[in-house]
Amino acid sequence: MLIELLTDKYPGMRFWLTQRLTALVMAVYLVLVILLFVIVQPKDFDAWRAFVAPIWFKLATILFFASVSTHAWLGVRDVLRDYVFHQGLRAYLQIVVDVLLVFYFVWLSFILWNI
Amino acid sequence: MRFSIYRYNPDVDAKPYMQDFDVELHEEDHMLLDALLRIKELDDTLSLRKSCREGVCGSDAMNINGKNGLACITKLADLEEPIVLRPMPGLPVIRDLIVDMTQFFEHYNSVKPYLINHDPLPETERLQSPEDRAKLDGMYECILCGACTTSCPSFWWNPDKFVGPSGLMQANRFIMDSRDQATEERLENLEDPYRLYRCHNIMNCVEVCPKKLNPNAAIANIKDLKIARAKDKKPAKKIFGIKVG
Repeated sequence: MLIELLTDKYPGMRFWLTQRLTALVMAVYLVLVILLFVIVQPKDFDAWRAFVAPIWFKLATILFFASVSTHAWLGVRDVLRDYVFHQGLRAYLQIVVDVLLVFYFVWLSFILWNI
Repeated sequence: MRFSIYRYNPDVDAKPYMQDFDVELHEEDHMLLDALLRIKELDDTLSLRKSCREGVCGSDAMNINGKNGLACITKLADLEEPIVLRPMPGLPVIRDLIVDMTQFFEHYNSVKPYLINHDPLPETERLQSPEDRAKLDGMYECILCGACTTSCPSFWWNPDKFVGPSGLMQANRFIMDSRDQATEERLENLEDPYRLYRCHNIMNCVEVCPKKLNPNAAIANIKDLKIARAKDKKPAKKIFGIKVG
């Protein structure tokens, strides 16, 4: 099973694969949303609201942003592992980025749920 | 022809410096190595490795105008003056253009670059079909010059942990060998977060390889194989610490 690769038996592969899977979610979402834009062409505020209001759109957008956050978390984690060798500084920077990503995600969920 | 060459003799010099040379070349001097040997006639303290002078031994790998390559198969006509020569980056310098390759070969050894087969030794060779043999093309030609690994930033940042393009290509060379029986162990040997996964596909290795090989494709193949083999395994019980079954 492919899911096996996401377990801690694969400490390298799980993160590499997660980054690819989240990229796939982002790519599918973006293509679908762009297609929808082209088809629906919302022209005013009410049309925009109607466009993003359906629950499936909100759930897909939440999934998309969860993927963006995970992808960004792993990307930054990779960069910090490559370039920052001071363990304390690395942990500090990672926590700053993690807090920011969680904040953005909660903020976005809040916005979506208030539409 | 004008040259600027990295000089460092740890017994004498406090720190490295660049030395300029203007050397008169002979008609038969076509390759960079020919020019280096002319310079050695002017100053025999200049140190470099060389042996086969035809791109087979991999001894004279160095940084030529900012790009790693073999001096013996680099044409002088293709180089801009002054030709700047430095030792390969990312490895300790022993003297001038000679680097200490110990770390490089430790990674090479760590992938067990030899056939592992537990069957009784046959009377003749272990045979392979032409198709199976063809799977080793593009990998067995590696001459271990180190040009790829020492132009890889992931190796510069984590030289003790990241195996590097050359070592990973050798790992793939034995993973793909139909006569080898240690595929599972070889894949597990590269599961650490650093050994394989520090490769971010920037392809410096592909750009510099003097044998025109593609270590990046070999690295991608290892990852693909890991995924392909995992598909046949039993489902997982825990994902990121959460029980799923």
